[in-house]
Order: sequence, then structure tokens, then C-alpha cells
Amino acid sequence: MSKQPVIDISPPASGWTAATSSWLPAVILLLVTVVLWEAAVRIFSISSFIVPAPSEIAKSLVAQWDVLVQAAVVTAGEILFGFLVSVIVGIALALVIVRFDWLGRALYPLVVLFQNVPKVALAPIFILWFGYGLAPKIGLILVIAFFPVTLSMLAGMQSVDRSLLSLMNSVGASPTQILFRIRVPHSLPSLMSGTKIAATLSVIGAIVGEFAGASDGLGYVIQFASTQLDTPLVFAALLLVSVLGIAFYYAAEILERVVVPWAPKFSQA
Amino acid sequence: MQVETIRPAGGRPTHIRHDDLISAKGVSVVMGADQNRQLILRDIDLSVPKGSFVSLIGPSGCGKSTLLKVLAGLVSPSSGSVSIAGLSPGEAARKRMIGLVFQDANLLPWKNAVDNASMLLGIADKSMSRSALRARGQEMLELVGLGDAAHKRPNELSGGMRQRVAIARALALDPAVLLMDEPFGALDAITRDSMGQSLLEIWQRTGKTIVLVTHSIDEAIHLSRQVHVLGINPGRITQSLDIPLPYPRDTSVTEVPEFVRLVLQLRTMLRSSHQPGGAS
Repeated sequence: MSKQPVIDISPPASGWTAATSSWLPAVILLLVTVVLWEAAVRIFSISSFIVPAPSEIAKSLVAQWDVLVQAAVVTAGEILFGFLVSVIVGIALALVIVRFDWLGRALYPLVVLFQNVPKVALAPIFILWFGYGLAPKIGLILVIAFFPVTLSMLAGMQSVDRSLLSLMNSVGASPTQILFRIRVPHSLPSLMSGTKIAATLSVIGAIVGEFAGASDGLGYVIQFASTQLDTPLVFAALLLVSVLGIAFYYAAEILERVVVPWAPKFSQA
Repeated sequence: MQVETIRPAGGRPTHIRHDDLISAKGVSVVMGADQNRQLILRDIDLSVPKGSFVSLIGPSGCGKSTLLKVLAGLVSPSSGSVSIAGLSPGEAARKRMIGLVFQDANLLPWKNAVDNASMLLGIADKSMSRSALRARGQEMLELVGLGDAAHKRPNELSGGMRQRVAIARALALDPAVLLMDEPFGALDAITRDSMGQSLLEIWQRTGKTIVLVTHSIDEAIHLSRQVHVLGINPGRITQSLDIPLPYPRDTSVTEVPEFVRLVLQLRTMLRSSHQPGGAS
């Protein structure tokens, strides 16, 4: 609806200064944490296989760079593929539930029920069924990540104003026309929020899938390195997993700006 | 050629002439089931002559919006009949004879003003090309005074401008009747006045028949030729008032003594309509 006035009490700043002042506190805190961490490990001489110093992690990162990058590419592929499958299945399910009333009434309770199954526990079964390749990871990501997509799209499609529907009915619009001309576009802002959640969950799904059984990927590196007591390598791989997670999240956020530039949250600009 | 006499309004009987575009006879609406059954409207007789501007006014909950929905074919009456130029409201709507405007403009936020204005027409008439729809949308935007804002999205328009687009969208269907449910209810007083004035000008230029639901006494008198007062519990037309002020009217009409007299008269009618009544 109407724009929310933003009350800015900080002194006016130019573009660059404004950006710096919003990032600076977080960067300073991060640097301070790393320095304290390094100092604590050295002062209390903590064994590097329990808590490695940041410098140890960096050393491991450089030494194992090729292995790590190759593993990251594998994991990123799983995340991307699994994420896309989750989004497609999630959207299809939401459309079916909304368009076919009786099918929706049959499906929706089951979908919600399924949501209460601890999906991580399905990983071993997926390995059993689909082997050690890509398939069990995609399957695991799918069962973890489709739900927020379906739910957010359903919520968006069902929140269309009733008088708008009256208006459509008054000119004889068919249910399919109402679905694709009104409900689906109306659901996009909500769907994009669900997609961002799915992007984060996809990273978790890929790592869990690799933990359960894999011969490659960052999850495999983490598990292998921990059996070798190579804790610095565990942390180095963990760092790359986090970078992947952040990258996917921001990719989803950029996608949101492209798909729904008209969403209320962007009206300020 | 029937001449119908509506209940005396302020002592003077009101004669409605033959060519009524809208005619409702004995319309009652019951909603809910079993113990929750509620009589929303009782025995409504309403005639709206072609080209007229009629307002429905009444306290909240008197069913004036329901009555408008009955006329639009969105709610079926439990008993009684409604005809719009001899057709049922549903048929009339399918023939694009009914344009609807609600309190909320309900524009599609992903479409610009011109595409919003032609949106309903595009659904009603699938044979129209995209460019023909655009041209029609643009024409309607110009009619409502928004010719320059064709490419703006709803979030770039003010509340009054959004409502103008909603009116353009209804007019794009070229309906015989414009049914408006508190279209200016969410606007501030100044915007409201200028919107009312614009509506009056659009009415005179297009010759549409307009039925306006409002809760503003000033608005009803400023705009309409005739005002029907609805009472509550159950909703029914208690009185009707002719507004003999000559057209074209502008906002200065609110300052003439006759206007002030009509306001007082309508206010008295509204006060007595607040009493729930069985017998009438």
C-alpha cells in the first residue's frame, strides 16, 4: 500500500561513505574476533586438532586449494541442481493444490504431515535407493527445500483480495485465467521469499547428503579430514561451505529484484 | 409504460418514469444457514432510470453494499427479481453492461496504469489485440484525467490516481451501468471532493447510469439526482429523496441554501432509518 517513511537520523552521507559506515562495524567485529581467536590459541597453546588458529586454517586453505576448489565445484553443482528441482516441484505442487480443489484437499494435509518427518534421517535410505552419485543429494535437497517454496506460493495465491476476484468474475473470467493472470503474479513476491529460504536449505541438504555417503564434495572433505584429525582442513572446508551459502542466498536475492521489481518492499526506491 | 410511486420522500411523492435501466422488485437476501440465518435485505424495490445518477446511503451494516452486489450479479437474491435492461444481472455482466468500482482500487501492482485500465476488457473480449487494448486503456485514462500517467505503476500513483485508474478500468468495458461501492471512502477530504467532481463530469460526458453507495451525505447530494436511504435490521429502503439542484453542478453547489436544506433533510431521514423496524 502506502510507502513507509524511513526516518534517517544519521547525518547525510555520500554514497561511498554511507556504504562504508553500514559495513564497517561488522568488518571490525570480524577482524577483532579473528585476532582474539589467534591470540587465544597461541597464549593457551591449544592443540591445532582441537581448535586451529586462523593462521593454521589459512595455511591449510592455501595448501589444499586445488582439492578444496574441486570439491566446492561438485557441491555447488549439487546445490544448484537440487535447488532448481525443489523450486520447480514446489511451484508445480502449489499450482496443483490451488487449481484442482479435491486434489489440493488430498495433497495439502499429506505435504504438511511430511514436513514433520526429520528429513535428515532420510539420507541413509536415499543412499540405499539411489547409490552414491548425484541422485541421492538431489533427492535430499528436494525433500528439505520444496516445502517453503510450496507454502509461500500458496500463501501468495490465496491472499488475493476478494473484491479483485469479484471484479474478475463480473467479466466472466475462467478459473484458469484467474490463476495465471492474477493469482500467480500476485504470489511472486511471497514465492521469492520462499525461494530464498529454499536456497539456504539446499546448502544444508547437499552437505547432509555428502555426509551420508559421497566420494567427493565439501561435505566429504569435512568428514574425511575429521577422521584424519586434520581440523584445519575441516575449518577451511567449512569456510568454503559458508561462502557457497552466502553466494546462493545473494543470488536468490538478486533474482528477487529481477522478477518482482514492483514488490512492496522495493517501493522505496 | 408504468409509472411507479416510490415511498413519499419528504412529503413529495417521487415519480419514476418508464425507461428504467435497473429495476429491482421485492428483493430479499438471506445469508447464513440454520441458527445463523440473517435477513440482510428485505423487500427492496428500486428503479434507476437510464442515464441517472442514484446514491444509496445508510448506516454501516444496512446492506447497501450487498444490494450493489445483487445488482452486479455477484450475490443472488433469496427472493425477488432484478433486471438490467431486461436481462438478469449475470447476463448483463457477461454482456459487459456492468462496470464495478470498489473502495480499494485493486490495481495489479505488476502492470502499469494503461495495462491496468484495459485489464478487464482484455479478459471480457479475447478477440482484442494488445495494441487495441492499449489504445482503449489510454483513451480511458485520458477521460479520467490521467493521460500522462499511462506508464506508471500503481506504487508510483497516489490513492486518488489509483482510484481514477479503477474508474478507467470499469469504463473501458463501455458498460451501461457503473456500480460504485464507496469508491472515495479511503481518500482524504480534498481528494474526495475533486474525485466527486471528476466523476460528475465523466457522467455527463459519457451518459452512463451510475449507482453510488456512499456514507457521505454531502457526496450523495452533491453528485446524485436521487438518494435512497437504507434502514437497518433488516436492510430496506426507508425513504427516497430527489435532489432538484440543476446540473452541471460544481463544488460551489455545497454553498447554496437549497443544498444546506437538503443536507438537513437527508440527515433527518438517516437518523430515523437507524431505528430497526419491522413494519414499514
